[in-house]
Amino acid sequence: MLKVKDLKRYFKSGDVIVKAVDGVSFEIPDGKFISIIGQSGSGKTSLLSMLGALDKPTGGVIDVDGSDITKLNGSNLNSYRASTIGFVFQSYNLVPNLTAIENVMLPMEFTKVAKAERLSRAKGLLAEVGLSEDQMVRKPGKLSGGQQQRVAIARALANKPKYILADEPTGNLDSDTGRKIFNLLHDLTKKENTTIIAVTHDLSIAGKTDKSFRLQDGKLVNFSQGKKTK
Amino acid sequence: MNWFTRGVRNAFRNAIRTTALVVIIGLSIGLALSMLIAYQAVSLKINNVKSSVDNTISIYPAGLRGFAGGGTPLTQNQLKSVSSQPHVTRLDETLSDRLTSSETNLQSSITAGSLGRRFAGNGFAGTGFTRNFNFTPPVTVNGTTDPTNLGSSSATTGGGSFTLMSGSVINGSSDADVAMVGSALATKNNLKVGSTFTAYNTTFTVSGIFSTGNKFGDNQLIMPLATVQRLSGQTGDVTAATAYIDSISNLASVTNKIKQILGSSADVTNSEQQAQTAVSSLQSIQTVSLYSLIGAVIAGAAIVLMSMVMIVRERRREIGIIKAMGSSNLRLFGQFMAEAVTLTLIASVAGIIIGGITSNSITKILVSNSSTSSNVRSGGPGGGFRFARHFGGLAAIRGDITGIHTAVGYGIIGYGLLAAVAIAIIGTAAATYFIAQVRPAEVMRVE
Repeated sequence: MLKVKDLKRYFKSGDVIVKAVDGVSFEIPDGKFISIIGQSGSGKTSLLSMLGALDKPTGGVIDVDGSDITKLNGSNLNSYRASTIGFVFQSYNLVPNLTAIENVMLPMEFTKVAKAERLSRAKGLLAEVGLSEDQMVRKPGKLSGGQQQRVAIARALANKPKYILADEPTGNLDSDTGRKIFNLLHDLTKKENTTIIAVTHDLSIAGKTDKSFRLQDGKLVNFSQGKKTK
Repeated sequence: MNWFTRGVRNAFRNAIRTTALVVIIGLSIGLALSMLIAYQAVSLKINNVKSSVDNTISIYPAGLRGFAGGGTPLTQNQLKSVSSQPHVTRLDETLSDRLTSSETNLQSSITAGSLGRRFAGNGFAGTGFTRNFNFTPPVTVNGTTDPTNLGSSSATTGGGSFTLMSGSVINGSSDADVAMVGSALATKNNLKVGSTFTAYNTTFTVSGIFSTGNKFGDNQLIMPLATVQRLSGQTGDVTAATAYIDSISNLASVTNKIKQILGSSADVTNSEQQAQTAVSSLQSIQTVSLYSLIGAVIAGAAIVLMSMVMIVRERRREIGIIKAMGSSNLRLFGQFMAEAVTLTLIASVAGIIIGGITSNSITKILVSNSSTSSNVRSGGPGGGFRFARHFGGLAAIRGDITGIHTAVGYGIIGYGLLAAVAIAIIGTAAATYFIAQVRPAEVMRVE
């Protein structure tokens, strides 16, 4: 269970305080596909970064299975990022000098998975997301956007995380590829009982998720239950 | 793949970047190495020149060198206060004289030649300023307290190394009518050990035959100092003395003290002063190479440091991604260290090759520029025999200066590599540390 209570993230821009996330609270049960929608600058990415412990909140609590991750640091923080969370970014964020398979193997290095198992699991995951053997040994620059996003999803799944945080996972893809990626994520939720929190501005995607949050000016202004957006 | 292999592989991720970095870092390392090698070669040469210098002080009557010039002999009483000075371990005294054909039955082994006849006009033959075409070189007598040390009276003995060919060495502190005879003089006069000859109307017994390696030295007699003083009517007189000092570091202070004691009656010089003149040009090269070395090291360190900072900074986003995957800062350090060390080692190899190739040329340029601009003064023939020999000595040292050759030792290579790697590690560690403090969200937000 993921519980967020009165979460705040303020930035100072000159003399002005920008309230990117301003007192957001919600709860997400395990194994659900959640979407966060909102306009550009509404605080979606900031919220997701804090949930993934990539950023520190100004205030509030993020309770992940009974542990407040805002208080984590050092090895506990690394362990949370490596084991509990899998990230999928809009711009894929693959390491350019590593091949697709090496990118997927990378997070497993931080959880001390043996090299042989890393290789076999990475191959399995890439095959699962639809990459051919030939594509697995290509560097990101030699893959299409959709293929790169598939690699990013495989990488996010590498350590079998409980939560996958996806920031505009279809944002850089054409609608057809975007739909395929969404379906891939959706299938994973069902198959692995993984909780997926996806930030999107695509209302058609948001409408297909289990729950949907709408952010406006850093505040949670709307909430939908079921596969229907208000 | 782990952090180490990832780091090493990253060093080659972009051929142009890798080549550019290797060239620029290699050049800076090569330049620093060249300067280090030049500095070490010059320093070694200076030490060699200095270590070849005797820790002796030469004392002559003011205005006198050998049998040229004039002045008043020093006395043994004057020199007693010199030998009692601290740091003076020994004092050798010499009285030189020349025997005419009326004073000895020995015949000189040297024929006068045009030089002898020319110099005879102003010298011993006593015929005023006209040249004496009937001049026969006299036999030189050296009365000395140290019969085997020709250096103590090199102005008159001609220096060289003393080698006893037969017989025995006389006792320099005795007053006996004995002499050692130079090999050429002995051959000319059919003298052997035990033979007798006449000098100062006294019969002398040949105690030994010696060789000095030069014709001038081999045409002389060596007798006890007291014997020459007594028979030549110069009791207590000394024409040259050599003070031996316990350490070269005390040479200058004792020289000054002796100058104070003897005042204007003596010319006091030490071998360090002569060597100092010779090495002055080397010292200017040493200074230039030291400053160049410091400059090259600072420039090299800055280049290596900035290169590593740039490498790390251009990969901020990658660092953010790796941190977001759960990497510790330590792994990130390790990865970038491996990359930096790989690049630096390759650049160091290039630098060592560049340094090895250029160091000799750089040193030669420094030396030739310095040698042509420096003013190594030396005496001329007018200064007498001793100055003539100094001229030769300084010329030899000067020849050594221009003959400096550099060598790249394993020590230099080792230190160079260590320094380069250490700088690279420091630069990378500093840059990685600061960037690793950044939250992943901050760097990943930058598109």
